[in-house]
Amino acid sequence: MTTLLELVDVTAFYGSVQVLEGVSLSVPDGGAVGILGANGAGKTTTLRAISGTVRAGGTIRFDGKDIRGMRPDQVAALGIAHVPEGRGTLGSLSVRDNLRVGAYLRKDRKNIQADIDRLLELFPNLKERYSSNASALSGGEQQMLAVGRAVMAKPRLLLLDEASLGLAPSTAKNVYEAIGRLRSESGISMLVVEQNANLAFTLVDSATVLETGRNVLTGTSAELKGMDEIRRAYLGG
Amino acid sequence: MGTFIQLVIDGLSTGSIYAALALAIVLVNQATGLINFAQGGMAVLSAYVAYQFLQWGLPLILAIIASVIVSFFLGAVIERFLMRRFERGDPDTAIVVTVGLLTLITGVCAWIWSYNNLLFPSLFPLDSIPILGASVSVRSIGTTLVILAIMVLLQVLFVGTKLGLALRAVAINPQSASYSGLPVGRLLMVGWGLAAILGAVAGALVAPSLTLTPGMMDGALVYALAAVILGGLSSPVGVVVAAWMIGVLENLAAVYVPFIGHDLKIAVPFVLIFVVLIVRPQGLFGRKVVVRV
Amino acid sequence: MSAATAFFSRTWVRWAVVGVIAVVLIVLPLIFDAPTNSTLARIGVFAVAVLGLNVVMGYTGQVSLGQIFFLGLGAYVTAYGVNEGWNIVLVFILAILLPAVVGLLVALAAARLGGLAIAMVTIALPIVGVPLAKRLSEFTGGSQGTSARFSSAPEWTGLYDDQWQLYVVIAIPAAVFVLTRNLVRGKFGRAFAIVKENEAVASSMGISPYRYKVLAFTIASAIGGVAGFLYMVVIQYTSPETLAFHHSITLLASMVIGGAASILGSLIGGAYYVLVPQLTNIIDPNLTAVLQGAILLLVLFILPGGIVSLPRLWRRSRGGRGLGSPVAAGAQTTGIATIEGTRASHAGDYASPVGSAPAVPPVTGPESGPTDKSPSPESPEKRQDT
Repeated sequence: MTTLLELVDVTAFYGSVQVLEGVSLSVPDGGAVGILGANGAGKTTTLRAISGTVRAGGTIRFDGKDIRGMRPDQVAALGIAHVPEGRGTLGSLSVRDNLRVGAYLRKDRKNIQADIDRLLELFPNLKERYSSNASALSGGEQQMLAVGRAVMAKPRLLLLDEASLGLAPSTAKNVYEAIGRLRSESGISMLVVEQNANLAFTLVDSATVLETGRNVLTGTSAELKGMDEIRRAYLGG
Repeated sequence: MGTFIQLVIDGLSTGSIYAALALAIVLVNQATGLINFAQGGMAVLSAYVAYQFLQWGLPLILAIIASVIVSFFLGAVIERFLMRRFERGDPDTAIVVTVGLLTLITGVCAWIWSYNNLLFPSLFPLDSIPILGASVSVRSIGTTLVILAIMVLLQVLFVGTKLGLALRAVAINPQSASYSGLPVGRLLMVGWGLAAILGAVAGALVAPSLTLTPGMMDGALVYALAAVILGGLSSPVGVVVAAWMIGVLENLAAVYVPFIGHDLKIAVPFVLIFVVLIVRPQGLFGRKVVVRV
Repeated sequence: MSAATAFFSRTWVRWAVVGVIAVVLIVLPLIFDAPTNSTLARIGVFAVAVLGLNVVMGYTGQVSLGQIFFLGLGAYVTAYGVNEGWNIVLVFILAILLPAVVGLLVALAAARLGGLAIAMVTIALPIVGVPLAKRLSEFTGGSQGTSARFSSAPEWTGLYDDQWQLYVVIAIPAAVFVLTRNLVRGKFGRAFAIVKENEAVASSMGISPYRYKVLAFTIASAIGGVAGFLYMVVIQYTSPETLAFHHSITLLASMVIGGAASILGSLIGGAYYVLVPQLTNIIDPNLTAVLQGAILLLVLFILPGGIVSLPRLWRRSRGGRGLGSPVAAGAQTTGIATIEGTRASHAGDYASPVGSAPAVPPVTGPESGPTDKSPSPESPEKRQDT
């Protein structure tokens, strides 16, 4: 299995405060990897380092290519879609327009509508709200819209940041199930940041745990679920 | 009645000029979050550029088109090299930068072309045609129609094209837009370029009657800002309607309210503003601004 | 704290410095010749005007393009009162009061709008003011303007006119400067600063941005009126040209270049206002506007804190590390809020150039390579390096 994304000793600063002190991980092609950890551990920053939103040090390689230092739109063009924390939905645009924005980089215009249709099958709530403004959608719907927009670009890697944030547990579960369906349908690779480890393990094959900007534990989902520390710290005992 | 119609149509014409400038201001504000106090100055520079093309022998319509193209690039360059670093910052600072830009542009115009009033030919014949018993100037009708056409074109661009969608997305959330691959920087340059085009057209249309001088659009800028306040920064339609209203009302006031006369009619929009704003602080059409912390 | 700072913070040293300055100020007008005194007097006039602008713009963060209008109003009131033979103290009071009242009314309406409305509305003041001044000719003398001579040196002082004028222009502005300094260092000043920084935070603290903006604007207008009175003392003539729009811009530029939110900066601004146009006219009259625009832009890019921030900058470059951790961490919180794309108007304004922050490049250095904008590949601080 080839490695799609590789991070080696990645560092990142906000001003003069160091937030990442050396994070390493890799995502295999077709795989789904989780980044777990408490608030402030640097999970979101790791995704931002990959998508080019913050300047980072260390090595970030996508499909063998060094992408560190690239602008976010350049990273997107390579096939990495970042669904940010807070979703980043374009509120005053309709659901339809949000999805069209997602397809911005694509050259195959004829297939775009077909893809939209397929997406709406996957996320039926969005179908109902197709012409409404995105800001009128509920939290869960907005999350699905954000994922849908990211997926419209036909990316090879999806960066998912705290998809469960602000959602009721049942809604979050629905969102993750929908994303799971997406994964099985399209085989897209994923890097999933999630505070709710239980939820994350329903989606990812393996995960790394971050604490104050560095990895402290890495393993397959099965291994991690079995560990006492994980159970106590992140899985509620 | 004849006078009234004349005044209304002339008012629509001057109002269209304000509308073009106001729309440019709104466009820039939606894209980059600042108010460009140099928008009028840029329009004057565009008019001078057209004037220069005229001096070099180009026919009027080509001179204007050439100036429009140059203005697009000028707007884009100004965004990229001057305004970029102030866009994500304090809006009041950005305003001061645009004021500096205004001074610089005015100075450059004065330096190259002097402070003298230059004659700029009119795109439209100086005739009048009879409408409903009034003798209406062709220039007024023409100006209004041209600007209306440009505004419609822009609207089509924004709503119907991929570029327009991209511009709107960038205006809403640039970072999120970049995650979908939108080249935010380049799109901001386009936004400023489009605003500059609006200004260039307005400048070329109003220069014949005002005569070309570096401070030509200072008054129009004030009216445009009044239209922006009245119409609301979030409503392009609102500012256009407000601008027309201002144009028509000031003309009517100048004639029918003797105290105001032609020199004080510039006070009219601000009286309007005070009145409207006591009742509706977000402007006639705008939405209430929510500042997220 | 360096040895120099420690030395200067000793109370007796401070009083000694004040004493020295006082002596210098008393002696100065007697030493210099008339033209120099006249120039110094004019600097004093416009330093006061810039100070007023600073109150509303530098300290409270509201761009005002109308300060010159209040100066003009004050001048006209002074001229009218003097020519009508009113008591000079009454005239002085009116020269402060009338602009203050007008400023209050304008602010009450404009501040309601929030955002950048004060900037957009104040631009109308000089532009409406000029034709108004021409129109109300019974009060203003119309386009011709009006003159008022009342500032000849009284017999008992034995001074020349220019010396007397300079004393007046030292005494009154000194009082205004001291009063303003106390204002901005006190409770009001802190409130202004919070309103400038983040209006949402201000209201959550019970500080009404609206009220303080109105207050700041009114004070600025009053100070503008004082400047107008002093203008008549020195120049003894006013006309519609006094409040022309381009003066408004020069005043604003002077404030920024001298140093926003700084008492000393206002003084420097006054000097800029008076001296630089003379200089640029010597170089090439046609280039005046170009040079002034270029200087303003240069200052905004390189030295946003104005000339007055130079010592601070020099000190930082010698010993400092740039933005220290607490600021960066604080900026981080607001930075994240903005990363979500909200265009909060004044959130987390840590390095606003129209303010007191010096122009210090962040430790991470200037942006490398990427020329495109997209949320720049650096820390999510909303500020660019200023």
